[in-house]
Amino acid sequence: MKTWLWTLLFGLPLAAFAESPKERAASRFQWNGFLSQAFVQTSDNRFFGDSDNGSFDFTEIGLNGSYQLMPRIRLAGQVLSRHAGDLYSGSPQIDYALLDATLFSSAQSTFGMYLGRIKNSIGLYNETRDVAHTREGIFVPQTIYFDKVRNLTLSSDGFHLYGRLYRDSGTWSLQAGAGYPIIDKNLEYAYMNQDWDGEIRSDDLAAFGRLLYEHNGGRWVYAVTGASVRTDFRAGPADSIAFPNGPGLNSGNIDIDYSVFSVQFNGEKWQFTTEVAFQAARYRDINATFAAQDFNAIGYYSQLSYNVTPTWQGFLRYEEFQLDHDDWNGRKRAQRNIQESAFLADFGIERSPIPAHAYYSKIWAVGGRWDVTSRWRLRAEYQIIEGTATLSPRENDMSQSDKYWNLFALSASYHF
Amino acid sequence: MKRMLGVTIWLVLALSSFSPVLKAEVVIVNPKLVDLELSQTTLRAIFAMRIPQWPDGTPINVFVLDDQDPLHIHFCKSLLGMLPYQLRRIWDQQAFSGTGVKPNLVNSETEMRQRVATTPGAIGYISNSKIDNTVTALGAS
Repeated sequence: MKTWLWTLLFGLPLAAFAESPKERAASRFQWNGFLSQAFVQTSDNRFFGDSDNGSFDFTEIGLNGSYQLMPRIRLAGQVLSRHAGDLYSGSPQIDYALLDATLFSSAQSTFGMYLGRIKNSIGLYNETRDVAHTREGIFVPQTIYFDKVRNLTLSSDGFHLYGRLYRDSGTWSLQAGAGYPIIDKNLEYAYMNQDWDGEIRSDDLAAFGRLLYEHNGGRWVYAVTGASVRTDFRAGPADSIAFPNGPGLNSGNIDIDYSVFSVQFNGEKWQFTTEVAFQAARYRDINATFAAQDFNAIGYYSQLSYNVTPTWQGFLRYEEFQLDHDDWNGRKRAQRNIQESAFLADFGIERSPIPAHAYYSKIWAVGGRWDVTSRWRLRAEYQIIEGTATLSPRENDMSQSDKYWNLFALSASYHF
Repeated sequence: MKRMLGVTIWLVLALSSFSPVLKAEVVIVNPKLVDLELSQTTLRAIFAMRIPQWPDGTPINVFVLDDQDPLHIHFCKSLLGMLPYQLRRIWDQQAFSGTGVKPNLVNSETEMRQRVATTPGAIGYISNSKIDNTVTALGAS
């Protein structure tokens, strides 16, 4: 986190704290935590570890606290340990650490500001995507909330302004701000296919905004989200070696625009959720091969859930992701990869072509959950999948990935 | 015998569907809070933990019963016009993203009344029959 932000985040409240040290009530402090363990079995391919042999490498543990420092100032922070196959080791991270300042509040509206490390409100689920009991299945829909590259939009160090209007017809919430995304190696695998000598950094401010409307107490929920991120690729010495002795990469940028449209119906027995996401990625100045990889992706899902009883729920979901809407089912890319492999072979470089099915995913998912107590939840889920776009090159050799595969998962989660 | 059972089941179902008549509840607040008139819209925002303060600046302290408690379910449906799982989702999304907190959980109506009576800025709900002079009952609007 940038130094000035830390100074603001902790300097300001400490100064305020010095003014009013007395009157500390227990209710001003709140703890919450969660713990989740899943078992993942896939017929082929690797998803969160050696799943084709059965994997327990999906564990989430989190602990958060919130402290009402003054009537209008609150501090909140969460530490998260997330082990997800080869993608995340489980080493504890600061998930968020923020100051929430209420600027104005009445019975009709609330306005305020978050400052610090903030989870980005993208779609309906991004902010709490790692908290098992807030998800609608064992995994968030991978066609929108990619786990292979979650950090790009997960959170950022900066500020968000928020405003809420409480109308008789429903509640309007707007949250918008800017910050530096917390980027990691997975971004390089997902957008540049491998771990290069250099690295991807986030030296530019990214912008986020979401407008959400909850009609009639949330019976219907509508949301529109926009995010714009510019990442900087700094080529390392080995990357800069000119072709054919090296990859011939220059330093450059990957610009990503992301927008999500969400609709949800919440009935007593039935719930329906659908979200559509558009992603435009542009590779600038890196090299000609990457420039040709610009894409306009589309991802969507529709989920129907049924509450058999308040503690038993079942769901059915269809999801689809297409990396490029101008190259449906990846045909053009697959052909280009074959030509490229033939071209490289002339120089004695051996590279298997990545097949068409690596550029899309079509998933049918069915699952259920049982709330054993208000704190314990058990889940089971089965997915029938065509395509491997939701898989990470970090866990799979994409040229060897299987087109048709399925997934079975179980999970137990606890929260307080 | 079978017919008797049928009639009994029908009666139970009929009575439970008219339960508002049998089991009315009311919003209660700490007696130090005066001149409050809360619309359903404001109640929703308060119980969703979205309004931090009363007009006089006192922090709002929300008290609720367990999600599965019949009185809580009834309160959500009839006074808020919401379902318990919707409130739970809002609380969880706020509490686990740092953008808000959960309400205070109490185990019984007696505890609810006692905590609301003794906590500044408190708001909760109890059955009509449990009201006494330690708390202020708000007229439903």
